[in-house]
Amino acid sequence: MTAPGPLPLRALPASAAPVVVTGTGTAVTGLTGPADLLRRPPYGPGGFDPVTGLKGRELRNLDRASRLALRAAAPALTEAQLLDADGGFTGEADTAAVVVSSTLGTLDTVAALSDTIAREGVTGLTPLGLPGTSSNVCAGYLAIRHGLRGPSLTVCNGQSSGLDALFWARVLLAAGRARTVLVVGVEPSGPAVTRLLGRETTDAAAAVVLERAEDAAARGAHPRALLAACGRASSAAQAAAEAAGGLAAPLEGPVDLWLTGEQQAGEEELTAGAPRLDVEQALGPLSGALGVVQCAAAVAHLDATRAETVLASAGGGPETAAALLLTRYVPPNSERTEQS
Amino acid sequence: MSWDIIGMGAVANLGDSPGAVFEALCASRESRAPLRAFDRTRYRGGYAYEIDDRPADGADEPLRATRWLTTAVRQALADAGLDAGTDGGLGRIPVLVGTTLREQRSAELWWREGTALDPAALHFGPALGAAFGAEDAHTFANACSASLGALALGTDLLALGMADTVVVAGSDSMTESAFGTLDRVQNEIPRALRPFDTTHKGMLMGEGAVAVVLRRSADTAVDTGAGSTGAPRVHARLRSVGVNCDARHATAPDAEGIDWVVREAHRRAGLGPADVDLVMCHGSGTPRNDETEAAVLGRIFPGSGGPLMTAIKSLTGHTLGGSGLLSLVMGVLAARRGTVPPVHGLTEPIPEAAGLRLVRGAAVAAAPRIVQVNAFGLGGINAVAMVEAA
Repeated sequence: MTAPGPLPLRALPASAAPVVVTGTGTAVTGLTGPADLLRRPPYGPGGFDPVTGLKGRELRNLDRASRLALRAAAPALTEAQLLDADGGFTGEADTAAVVVSSTLGTLDTVAALSDTIAREGVTGLTPLGLPGTSSNVCAGYLAIRHGLRGPSLTVCNGQSSGLDALFWARVLLAAGRARTVLVVGVEPSGPAVTRLLGRETTDAAAAVVLERAEDAAARGAHPRALLAACGRASSAAQAAAEAAGGLAAPLEGPVDLWLTGEQQAGEEELTAGAPRLDVEQALGPLSGALGVVQCAAAVAHLDATRAETVLASAGGGPETAAALLLTRYVPPNSERTEQS
Repeated sequence: MSWDIIGMGAVANLGDSPGAVFEALCASRESRAPLRAFDRTRYRGGYAYEIDDRPADGADEPLRATRWLTTAVRQALADAGLDAGTDGGLGRIPVLVGTTLREQRSAELWWREGTALDPAALHFGPALGAAFGAEDAHTFANACSASLGALALGTDLLALGMADTVVVAGSDSMTESAFGTLDRVQNEIPRALRPFDTTHKGMLMGEGAVAVVLRRSADTAVDTGAGSTGAPRVHARLRSVGVNCDARHATAPDAEGIDWVVREAHRRAGLGPADVDLVMCHGSGTPRNDETEAAVLGRIFPGSGGPLMTAIKSLTGHTLGGSGLLSLVMGVLAARRGTVPPVHGLTEPIPEAAGLRLVRGAAVAAAPRIVQVNAFGLGGINAVAMVEAA
């Protein structure tokens, strides 16, 4: 390879403004909210039930992935104090981006449509199914529902997709294309997904709202966590090491919590002795939703404990692995107060 | 800020290289054919702009979109003087792929006919890793503006200093589910794709892949003479890519959203409407697209002295996720070769397009310096790129 120059790191330039999470939400069968991601079943009463939870006038004729995504997004935007009573976005719409991560979200739609065509020909199809044939259907409906007119991205990278979606959200913020980013990871269950993965899956969607820390402060929103660094490499351990290398201040010792999926590399320095939580153990395979579920779980953990750092990693094997480090957000002026 | 386009590759029904596609466009060579991919009795319409590379028995096979993508990327890398076959390949050079349907055709064949499907093959990362040693490939399913959307992200990585070189690509093969649903929703079934013509009846699908290699302009020694100093040839400079979402309707285009994104692309490039010499239109041939796009272009470029305009889909078909980048590559070749291909099949423009300088009949000699490229997709996602001749 003759490409000149040093190989780039995933690290954003030092001049990039800090990015924080100001809202999280879930629509995962059985769970009442992101905090349940840290618990084991059985969950408490009132958990999300797709039979009743995916109904409603505004969800009519939508594919299952879009309905789940909308159900996860609304609580996240509400928590971020960005929705009015009618579900309209109260921030700057032209710079409000939507980034969706999904790998199998359209698989059952595609399978059902091809069955109908084989059985009845195209006259058996409903014209209302057109949006569902495009893999970006969820992102479109999220933008329409809440009036989000900024960039729209649908990331389909398999296991690392969710963490990759969070990476691209940071890029959109750093590049000035977006001031707010709604990131949603979604994977609906269905017969085609079951056949492909060899087991039944859980309906799962998670949403997080990202913005620059200074924007959150200016509108009085509560920054719940700092998206400190991202990494991407051929193994989860390398991706985590790369993320740690991108931190403004080096970590002292292992992280406080390591969130994984089923497919993980062995322990290494960052995670030695750190409590590990495989979020897929209770929920089954999360595919493209995994990274966003992990992010919502990390924020819940930072909320509920005195933890300072949470590492999430996903992917590896035939696919690329990604890692994300979230830390407790410390406002700049509070540091100054301590020093003075 | 601008970025050099130092490598280009393309595969479509018209030809298997950017030059071959461009020459077919200029010669108005029609390659539309009766539908071969699927059982024609299942559909009302029966035409498509397919790549005819299936096995001899006519049966469909999986992973065609992946195969074309690999071919287009290989062409672009070779064109840029990057030999991906040595020294560990692409490594950390990002490869950003825009697509509408990913490998959903492979999923259909798995579901209906029992061919194998690796879940990781639904996206393009593992295949790009295997072919080029790419460790940082991303698949963006951003409908029919996907490859220009990926181009926007590529410029962001370069602008932020997160990469020195990026590869941006697009690829799609037709799926039964998308072809069938499109067939179902179009009121009249088109036999041909006729952008901006009063006979336009809708969109017909095409197939293909496209790729470009981008580098920050400051990193490239300017040498437009085919690399005599060893520096890569600069085909053109990318000045900006604007992106947005209408947030209005799941399938219909929105004039306000398109107007905004064109002005955004101009603003990012520091250009105004008067600077634009050529517009590569989205021109999908659906009445709604053509009317909306033409009306917006008429507003942005008022009067009779506006830019030349053309559209390639009447000969390539709608190549979906890659279509925007394919239009861009054709726009670059128009600037380099001093020829603008016509909108094939355009004889009587719709009223909204009557004042536009759409090239008709035959290719015209012109030397566009600034080229605007439009791409609009389902879900109301729009992308517009501005390119400057090198």
